[in-house]
Amino acid sequence: MTDIALAIILGCCALGAGIAMIAGIGPALGEGNAVAKSCEAIGRQPESKSEVTSTMIMGCAIAETTGLYALVIAILLIFVAPGSFKNLLLEVVEKTAK
Amino acid sequence: MTETKKTGKPSRVIDVLLILMMVLPLLAAVVLKVLYTPESKGVDIHGALVYYAAEGADISQVISGDLIITEAQINSWLVIISITGFCLFLTHGLEEHAHSARQHLAEWLVEKAESLVSGNMGDFHLYITPFIMAMMGLSVFSSLMSLLGVFAPTSDLSVVFGWAVLVFFLILIAKICCGPKVFVKSMTADGPVVAALNFIGDFSTPVSMAFRHYGNVMSGAVIGVLVASFLQWLSRTVFGGIGAAFPLLQIGLPGILSIYFDVFSGGLQAFIFAMLTMLNLGGAFPLEDWLKRHDRRRKEKQAAQQTV
Amino acid sequence: MQSQQIISVNLWQIVISLCNLIILFLIVRRFLYKPVKKVLAQRQAHVDGVYEEADEARRRAEADQAAWAERMTHAREEADAIISRAAENARMNSDLMVSDAKNRADGIVRQAEEEALLTRQKAEEGIRRELAGVSAELAEKVLGREINESDHRALIDSFIDELEDSRDADQ
Repeated sequence: MTDIALAIILGCCALGAGIAMIAGIGPALGEGNAVAKSCEAIGRQPESKSEVTSTMIMGCAIAETTGLYALVIAILLIFVAPGSFKNLLLEVVEKTAK
Repeated sequence: MTETKKTGKPSRVIDVLLILMMVLPLLAAVVLKVLYTPESKGVDIHGALVYYAAEGADISQVISGDLIITEAQINSWLVIISITGFCLFLTHGLEEHAHSARQHLAEWLVEKAESLVSGNMGDFHLYITPFIMAMMGLSVFSSLMSLLGVFAPTSDLSVVFGWAVLVFFLILIAKICCGPKVFVKSMTADGPVVAALNFIGDFSTPVSMAFRHYGNVMSGAVIGVLVASFLQWLSRTVFGGIGAAFPLLQIGLPGILSIYFDVFSGGLQAFIFAMLTMLNLGGAFPLEDWLKRHDRRRKEKQAAQQTV
Repeated sequence: MQSQQIISVNLWQIVISLCNLIILFLIVRRFLYKPVKKVLAQRQAHVDGVYEEADEARRRAEADQAAWAERMTHAREEADAIISRAAENARMNSDLMVSDAKNRADGIVRQAEEEALLTRQKAEEGIRRELAGVSAELAEKVLGREINESDHRALIDSFIDELEDSRDADQ
């Protein structure tokens, strides 16, 4: 019974991490759009290349934040959550055994 | 000729000492890493090694308040010593007529930083330049530490979070310095709900900055570890026992990845962290409004004096 | 040796890294920013000084040039004045000389005239005397008698006067 519970915990954590990383689509689309637009802008005005590039990098960095939040959640789910959930489960099992 | 030699000789000795001051901390970090790295079993992704923990400190907690000294702190101090040596080396023997490459480098650094600050915040805030320089230097050098194979302090959330908290306090101080009454009024003008939202928005700035920096550096580190362990497994399955002892396939690809994740991403994140700091600080201290208020106050004072 | 979780937030570590950044800020300001700024300011002051010196030198050169130009124009005026004065002097001298020469020539002419007049008077006197003597002798011879010489002389004088008058009138 405990084995099954542990397996469910691990599997759900991995699944949750994978689902969380779907958020990576958002920054990818956003940054791709930003880079495409800035390429257009550079093509239109090559003399303002450096300004457009630095602004684009700043924008990409900010757009990346949501993806990084997802990454943090995923890492928590993979590396931290299984351990703490396991401890929780064992505590509960011990209590019920007593 | 002899005199110049005499005056040149001690400076060269000092130069050597300063270069040692730059290099030795990095070497010490490598030595510490070699001495204290536990034997790894397969894929082992973990945070900083804990060198010292206070009595009863629970290390496995994600959020804790116990006093522990980790690899991240030690490496940060070593980086600080190294940067201090670098600064001293650059400014050693400064002359009015620049001859040495290092003086040119020092002046280039200062001028670049000043132009960056004045471009983002205006000339009024030039006093913040050394702070930006320190932030970028610490961030870049900390990220580059992973090139040596040691733990990069920036891949520890607490370290970057500390910097972000400092930036948060600076933003708060800038807002209060710009105009306490305006600050309070803007916070409480639209009712308690909006005030709470504003408050959360203010708090989210350092959190997002810290997560951005940490996430970029740490994701690079995680990918590096995963690729390295995959290559180890591959070389073991391909070459057998020799591959297990000498993971030949680990040569090459992790280095190329490290160029992107450590050098490019680390430098970019340092730049972005500094840029966001400057933009947030500049936004917290709107210079035109401040000057307008300042002028008005001065005029009022003058008018009061004239009436008296 | 234990290690932390890969994602962990520790209050003490936050405080330590915050202090680290502040310390590095102070270090950078003390050991890199201020010395470099000082050297840059020194160089700026030096360059300003050089520029000021150059400006000063140029101003002085311009002043010198103006003074020279003024002096040159003065010199020309002086030269003109000298030349005109010399010409004046020369003219005056020549006038003087010419007038002197004229005076002298006049004097010479007058003297000559006086001398001529004197000679003529003398000659007239002589002639008159001779004429008187001759006429007296003639009359003596003609009349055969001795006439009163004084009467005679008066007669002749009146005659000569008449002659003279008639000549003057002729002239």
